[in-house]
Amino acid sequence: MTETGFYILLGMRQEAHGYSIIRQVEALTQGEIRLSPGTMYGSLSKMERDGLIRFVREEEKRKLYQITPLGEQVLELEMKRIRRLYQNMQEVCENG
Amino acid sequence: MAEKKEFRYFTIADVEREQEYLRWQHRRGWRFTGVTGIGTYHFESCEPEEVVYQLDYSPSRKANFSEYVQMYRDCGWEYLQDFAGFSYFCKPVSQMESPEEIFCDDDSRREMIGAVIRHRLPVLVISVAFPLCYLLLFLLPQLIQGYSPALTYAAVTMTIVLIPLWVVIIVTFSRLWKYWRSLQDDRWE
Repeated sequence: MTETGFYILLGMRQEAHGYSIIRQVEALTQGEIRLSPGTMYGSLSKMERDGLIRFVREEEKRKLYQITPLGEQVLELEMKRIRRLYQNMQEVCENG
Repeated sequence: MAEKKEFRYFTIADVEREQEYLRWQHRRGWRFTGVTGIGTYHFESCEPEEVVYQLDYSPSRKANFSEYVQMYRDCGWEYLQDFAGFSYFCKPVSQMESPEEIFCDDDSRREMIGAVIRHRLPVLVISVAFPLCYLLLFLLPQLIQGYSPALTYAAVTMTIVLIPLWVVIIVTFSRLWKYWRSLQDDRWE
């Protein structure tokens, strides 16, 4: 899963539009990660097509989406993978 | 306000060169106002400024066009125009905290190049395969059967006209393909 895809699923546990996810990620990473509009737009279209997020409503030319049960499963798996990766890294670094 | 037109030919594999060309013009005090025809670029004079120009291949996004443009607008990119399936955007460097592009990962760059290849492949087939089949299956057998000045003239003219076209098209697609593959090869996983 791409970084953008992960942040979309993470942010869309509540209703959100693409730009609000961009702002959220910027705030979370103190401006270190700034997702681009082309990447965000393409990811949203692809994830909607794959049934990971669903369109909820439109507000001032911005589409609001929310995560689907399938998206939640995928997010849960990805979070597990990242937690395991982090724990392994910590273990190796502490013992090394 | 002074205006000027310049003719430049960029193939679909020259997106980065085209973006750089528009940025270079703005740096010299010429703001891009549009492209028409086979490659007539229109400019108007302005204060020299560093402005990043970006092209997105987006013919399938027409259905949600206002929402598509809004996403770019929210991120500070000005929509300029659509031309040959590409959408043109620009953003002044002064409004960026760090260097910005409209794509932030190789997956989305690959997606765009892939869409260009998929949509333009029929053009390749029609412009290369059809005339080639006509030459090999119709004109050549007739010439072999019996010499005809009219047929020879038709075959030679067709070959002379088509060869440069085929070269441009094949080189363009092979460059696009190589770029697409290079984005894939950069991945570590």
